[in-house]
Amino acid sequence: MAFNKKFVTGMTFAATISLLAACGGGGGDEGGSEGGSEGGSGEQSTGISIFQSKVEISEQLEAAAEAYTEETGVPVEVIGTTGDDYAQQLQIRLNNGTGPSIFSVQNTEVAERLESYLYDLNDAEFVSNIAPDMELMLDDRLVGVPYGVEGFGIVYNTEMVDPADIQDYDSFVSTLEDFNAEGINGFGLSSEAYFLIGHISNYPFSMQEDPVEFMEQLTNGEVTLTEVEEFQRFGEFMEAIRANTPTPLNTTYDTQVGDFAAGQTAMIHQGNWAAGMLEDFEVDFEYAMAPFPLEGNDKLAVGVGSNWAVNADKDQAEIDAAIEFLDWLHNSETGQRFVVEEFGFIPAMTNIEAGDLDPLSQAVLEASNSGETIPWAHNYYPANVVPNDFTPVAESFFVNEDMTGEELVENLQAAWENAAQ
Amino acid sequence: MACSAFSEKAPNQQCMKVGMSVANRKKIGWYLIFTVPLLLIFTLIVLVPFVIGIYYAFFQWDGIGANPMVFNGLDNFVRLMEDERFLRSTWLTVLFTVLSVITVNAAGLAFALLVTSKLKLANLARTMLFMPYLIGGLILGYIWQFVFLDVFTLIGEVTGFESIFFNWLNNEDFALFALVFVFTWQMAGYVMIVYIAGIQGIPGEVIEAARIDGASGWQRFLRITVPLLMPAFTISLFLTLSYGFKIYDVNLSLTGGGPANATELFAMNIYNEIFGYGNYGYGQAKAIVFFVIIAAITLTQVYITKKKEVEM
Amino acid sequence: MKAIGNWSKEILLVLMALVFLSPIYIIFINSFKNRLELYENTLAFPEEFGLQYYSAAMERMDFFNAFLNSMYVTVVSVVFIVILSSMTAWMLARSGNWVSTVIFMTLIATMLIPFQTIMMPLMQLVTGITRTTGIPLYNTLSGLIFMNIGFHAALSVFLYHGFIKSIPISLEEAATIDGATKFGVFWRVVFPILTPITATVMILNVILIWNDFLLPSLTLIDKELRTIPLSVFYFFGEFTIEWNLAMAGLTLTIIPVVIFYVIAQKYIIKGIGEGAVK
Repeated sequence: MAFNKKFVTGMTFAATISLLAACGGGGGDEGGSEGGSEGGSGEQSTGISIFQSKVEISEQLEAAAEAYTEETGVPVEVIGTTGDDYAQQLQIRLNNGTGPSIFSVQNTEVAERLESYLYDLNDAEFVSNIAPDMELMLDDRLVGVPYGVEGFGIVYNTEMVDPADIQDYDSFVSTLEDFNAEGINGFGLSSEAYFLIGHISNYPFSMQEDPVEFMEQLTNGEVTLTEVEEFQRFGEFMEAIRANTPTPLNTTYDTQVGDFAAGQTAMIHQGNWAAGMLEDFEVDFEYAMAPFPLEGNDKLAVGVGSNWAVNADKDQAEIDAAIEFLDWLHNSETGQRFVVEEFGFIPAMTNIEAGDLDPLSQAVLEASNSGETIPWAHNYYPANVVPNDFTPVAESFFVNEDMTGEELVENLQAAWENAAQ
Repeated sequence: MACSAFSEKAPNQQCMKVGMSVANRKKIGWYLIFTVPLLLIFTLIVLVPFVIGIYYAFFQWDGIGANPMVFNGLDNFVRLMEDERFLRSTWLTVLFTVLSVITVNAAGLAFALLVTSKLKLANLARTMLFMPYLIGGLILGYIWQFVFLDVFTLIGEVTGFESIFFNWLNNEDFALFALVFVFTWQMAGYVMIVYIAGIQGIPGEVIEAARIDGASGWQRFLRITVPLLMPAFTISLFLTLSYGFKIYDVNLSLTGGGPANATELFAMNIYNEIFGYGNYGYGQAKAIVFFVIIAAITLTQVYITKKKEVEM
Repeated sequence: MKAIGNWSKEILLVLMALVFLSPIYIIFINSFKNRLELYENTLAFPEEFGLQYYSAAMERMDFFNAFLNSMYVTVVSVVFIVILSSMTAWMLARSGNWVSTVIFMTLIATMLIPFQTIMMPLMQLVTGITRTTGIPLYNTLSGLIFMNIGFHAALSVFLYHGFIKSIPISLEEAATIDGATKFGVFWRVVFPILTPITATVMILNVILIWNDFLLPSLTLIDKELRTIPLSVFYFFGEFTIEWNLAMAGLTLTIIPVVIFYVIAQKYIIKGIGEGAVK
């Protein structure tokens, strides 16, 4: 009996302990990414880890990391994620001290929240090559290196639309009406937060004299949107779009672009990133990008989609290693090739030549070079206001035919206040 | 009994006293051996983090380690009583859960009865009906978007019943039903498994005896099957309640909370509060209040159905 | 008349199963289409059933490595869950004192906690333990297994508990009288009777663990450790999904689970014929 009891005790404890012990064997290596923070043993080569939100380039980034390791011997771990949960995972990782050495920061709002984790890159050599005003600054600290330049506007089918017909409100609306009469979708939005309202809501903000200051005033309750002309016009535009096109809520990004490629939609509101998908659809006509004509606007909205940041919470060796990787990416021939050819970015660095570009990216690059652009106001919106607050407003606008454009603007203001509090 | 079994050599008089305490100690020893390993892991992985989470509910904090944590007492709890979006989301979640519990269990039980009867295709059907549960919630939501968008509108156009078959996801009233529908589709096979296990536990002789006594099929079902299935009911009801209240991934991929927040269920509301608005402390406070409410409801349910269980 | 009833039931069953399978049909056919075909008709058959998306998906997912990781994590987790939770549940069910009631109620109450609310403290705790004690819970498959046991304990105990209540206690008493220890009674007498519910517990846990994304994504960093759900992230863009690859990946993912289910359910259904015929 006694034997039996011992046996049992042993069994059950073995169950738990073997599990813990097995960790050593089953888990394999600890990963170079982690080594640096503990003890002094990780001297031989400080590895780095990268965590970033643009899933489309994950594979290419892994290839770049491999190339880098081959050249320098520094191990680089690229941590995977789906786009949806990037922010949450980053927050958890930073909090428990397992944060990556390099991560992506979408915009100023996010940067402010993560301020204490952002290393000041002013002293890094390669940042002098960043195109004017494209770096991510917090006060006088340079905390983000732009991925590349992106832009959005009206993507139109050149066989169906003459850009002269979408120069102002009246011509735009009559074009929509004409298409509507022919049974063609004149202007396609789609149901995803940024494609439904996030991007298009930029225009009235971006056209203010100083958009950032304007947004501060809005947050402080010093301006009322319905009294601002650009917003009044914006409301009218949105009403016209709702009246003359099928509801965007039944459309996903895929079908929006697909309808355009099939000639069932004459114009869509999209950015140069859609070019890749248009290729998938084997488009057989020419397309181009035109400005959205709010209050006579004749410029494309151009900005930075995301930024590389270095984690200040790591020890100096790892920080230096991270900076060296970014330097390599933007200065070495191999690194630049990855940025332009593999990632497909329109470079935001003066020392990187753009590669062969699709028509949309070409339009964005030209606008960017000539300075004929309006900024991305949504990079200064309160964090997550687009998915959390603007989108429900836009959805009810498209669902309820009796909501006026003015009410839409009023509700957007309320949404802003809710998010900014 | 225990005395004679464990200490045969002990003198009879002492057996009562000493034997009892030895047996008692033995009993406790066995109790610990059987339960401690699991409970230890469980405590470490689930309970401790939950308690830490409760602690955060009393702070104003954005969840970023380096940013200040300000103690604000019960402010978070007071605030949520006036948070209309939260209250609406709570109501929607209750509505969703109640509807789902009914549909999932009705469908699950019906399936279980069908596939345990002597039908030729029962084996095949059992696998097919369970298949939906094998697909993760995220993908499933995306697939159903296709179905509502393409299939429903197509059926509407072909049959002319466009008032029933249209894209439910864009209708503030129907979007929640769409969610119930998809959740039922996913979970019915799941609870079917539990009901099957329950039905398997009913001795065939009991039903046979009732048949010989002349009970009709319906009577046999109501008087014998249902009471003997009580444990399965307890389990299935509880599982659907808890999955219903916690639903997140299908919610995210199917409706994303839309249109106009008409389907923003509770887990998504917390998630948005914590990671969207960066109100970690407030989000935790919401989670705790909701947990208390739900725990009260479901534990009552478990208590009631457990009482009805027939011990054999 | 009976025959007609059975026939209509058979037909009903087939119809229902088909309705249930239709979304799976969508998954399957769309794993063979390119974006253009998918756009043109979601429901139609593909132009050709080529396997190129399957091989592309397998390559990008590093399928075999991910498969082995998933297999290892799932099998080991489920074995431990079955052993530990059946033992715990039996003790809790058979000793009707207040301690057991409190433990049981605590266990099932925690099933109501949304994972999102505990994941941050959990990750702090886990990395804290890893750092201070050196027990590698973080970024190892074994650590993931350990957490799986903790998370699935409640559901499994709950399922066992309900089932144990319905089996006659007399068998166990008889074995105790014969001089068997608790341990012997449990493993020789009780556990065999639990086979149907064990199969149920295994099926449900295998699926949960096999498909789990959130927990592994938080705890595993190294590329070589990725499980199958972690490796499909390549197909999910920021705004769009590479449908053909995602669907192919998904099909590959669920095939092993389907096979497992078909085998395991036999143990749930065991004895179905005998009970009814007798």
